[in-house]
Amino acid sequence: MDALIAIWAQAQDALFESVVQPLVFHLGMTTWLESAFDATEIFMVGALEVAVLAVVLGALEKWRPVEVWADRRPVRVDVIYTLLVRLGVLPLAIFFLLLPAVEGLDGWLRMHGFIPPKLEDALPALFAHPLASFLAYLVVIDFVMYWLHRAQHGLGFWWALHALHHSQREMTFWTDDRNHLLDMVMVDAALALTALLVGVAPGQFVAIVALSRALESLAHANVRMSFGRFGEWLLVSPRFHRVHHAIGLGHEGGSRGCNFAVLLPVWDHLFGTANGTRDYPATGIRDQLHGRDYGEGFWRQQWLGLKRLAGRA
Amino acid sequence: MLLAAAAWAVAAHASFAPGEKVIVLNSGDGSISIVDPVTKQEEKRVPVGKEPHHLMATPDGKELIVANAASNDLVFLDPKTGDILRRVSDISDPYQIGYSPDKKWFVSASNRLHRVDIYHGGSFQLAKRLATGKVPSHIAFSADSKLAFVTMQESNEFSAIDLEKQEILWTLPTGKQPAGIWMTPDDRHLLVGITGESHLEIYDWRAKKLVKRILTGLGAHNFVARGDGRHVFLSNRMANTISMVDQQTLEVKETFKVPGGPDCMEITKDGRQLWTTTRWIRKVTVVDLETKQVLHQIPVGKSPHGLYFQSHAPRQ
Repeated sequence: MDALIAIWAQAQDALFESVVQPLVFHLGMTTWLESAFDATEIFMVGALEVAVLAVVLGALEKWRPVEVWADRRPVRVDVIYTLLVRLGVLPLAIFFLLLPAVEGLDGWLRMHGFIPPKLEDALPALFAHPLASFLAYLVVIDFVMYWLHRAQHGLGFWWALHALHHSQREMTFWTDDRNHLLDMVMVDAALALTALLVGVAPGQFVAIVALSRALESLAHANVRMSFGRFGEWLLVSPRFHRVHHAIGLGHEGGSRGCNFAVLLPVWDHLFGTANGTRDYPATGIRDQLHGRDYGEGFWRQQWLGLKRLAGRA
Repeated sequence: MLLAAAAWAVAAHASFAPGEKVIVLNSGDGSISIVDPVTKQEEKRVPVGKEPHHLMATPDGKELIVANAASNDLVFLDPKTGDILRRVSDISDPYQIGYSPDKKWFVSASNRLHRVDIYHGGSFQLAKRLATGKVPSHIAFSADSKLAFVTMQESNEFSAIDLEKQEILWTLPTGKQPAGIWMTPDDRHLLVGITGESHLEIYDWRAKKLVKRILTGLGAHNFVARGDGRHVFLSNRMANTISMVDQQTLEVKETFKVPGGPDCMEITKDGRQLWTTTRWIRKVTVVDLETKQVLHQIPVGKSPHGLYFQSHAPRQ
């Protein structure tokens, strides 16, 4: 393990010192050196993760596909979204977009005597157990994500944007990151506010973050796979999440859909939005069957999202 | 062979007290590495908090303070062994920390939120929270404890803070991204490491005037005293070098290579070794100050930043 960590550290150092650091210096941004160093690792983890997902989940999709398509062109745009997100391009852009507001609010709060609390204040044992601390933050963030996801479906303006994610009728593991840019900004802003209220998760578990993202990719995979009677309660499976993407089932009805959980299905069971159907229904949005266009290319999809938001599409 | 090994062990041991440890802050994974200075091995890694960047001994030398920037707290360690003793909460975003020489004030630079906090030295009760320029970084004090000087990395300046009135007295522009700031032992000059360029700047702070610029190396960053009352070392992060500066003649005496992004440093009491965190390679590097050769590179945690050992050279 130590040897692997040493190789990883050498690779990060080589990439950072030969490419990233000179670039940061020439841009006059040496204040951001440490952040750039972290971003280098995020890029490396993302690249490795995408490669592993393409091999492993690609093989799963070939082994037990729910659907087989003659034309896979609609999948290509999802690959672009995945690369932009997992290699850190969009997260970096959104970070710099939100930073002034988040820093401004945080700084203002502290000038008024409010120091954001953290989970460790309530559970001091977490100080000595960073893995437990990280899992505690993961549960809290997943809970927040569940309600954000409910809002993405329940609020008309947010659904206008989030519908892009659901408009993929050839859903694969690449679909996880297919989102409207404004949708991403709103979710990230909400998560930044959450961090202000409960503290930030420990930063040392990049691998676990990558693992949770890998699970989200698996949940979107075009594969007949359920986690079994107990596993279906424990983690969101491809079966569970496919129902959420199902035409006429996953994003319609009284609560505007079902199976909203991102990682932990327990939230759907607790709040009455779980749907345990064993089928693997077709994915998409009902109005697509009547010809509504959500776009095929990246920019067209983004533009149509804005038009829906304005009530003009 | 055995005699040679024994001689080496005695020589290595001579720089440190028996049982003494080197304490390293791994800012990237929120832990401290406890390193045995004799075997040059990491003995253990202990969780300490989120983003521990800098550390310093309390004025009585009985405790070591670790500033956890993202945990908003201070953790107190045994300075010899690194054992965690206690934790003080509600210290906002502590990045760099420092005591005024009279021990009356404890100053914390809030790097992320553009604030400098002044606490009462004994109780850690907040006396004043000051809005400052962008990205306040390193701290130095005048010998009479009346002023604290803080570099502002993003707004390219440093400010003098009146500790009694608790207000910013004046601000001077600097080169790009000033970081380390160092008061010469005669209390006359401030040395400022210009990380966004390749030099340090020397200020006559009473005259509020730039006296001199000295080329050192790309990413001039942080200082530590050699302990002889005359020389100070400066790490050049991007050049992967360390320069030794004469504080009397205000000239660079020599510059030597230290690969891996040298950052914070300590000098052994006998003046024979320089220990530095090398952040980009996750190691602590030990340099022989006679030959200027790298003796050891010790793997530690992620993004190691501050380091400390009790048998350090005098701070001037």
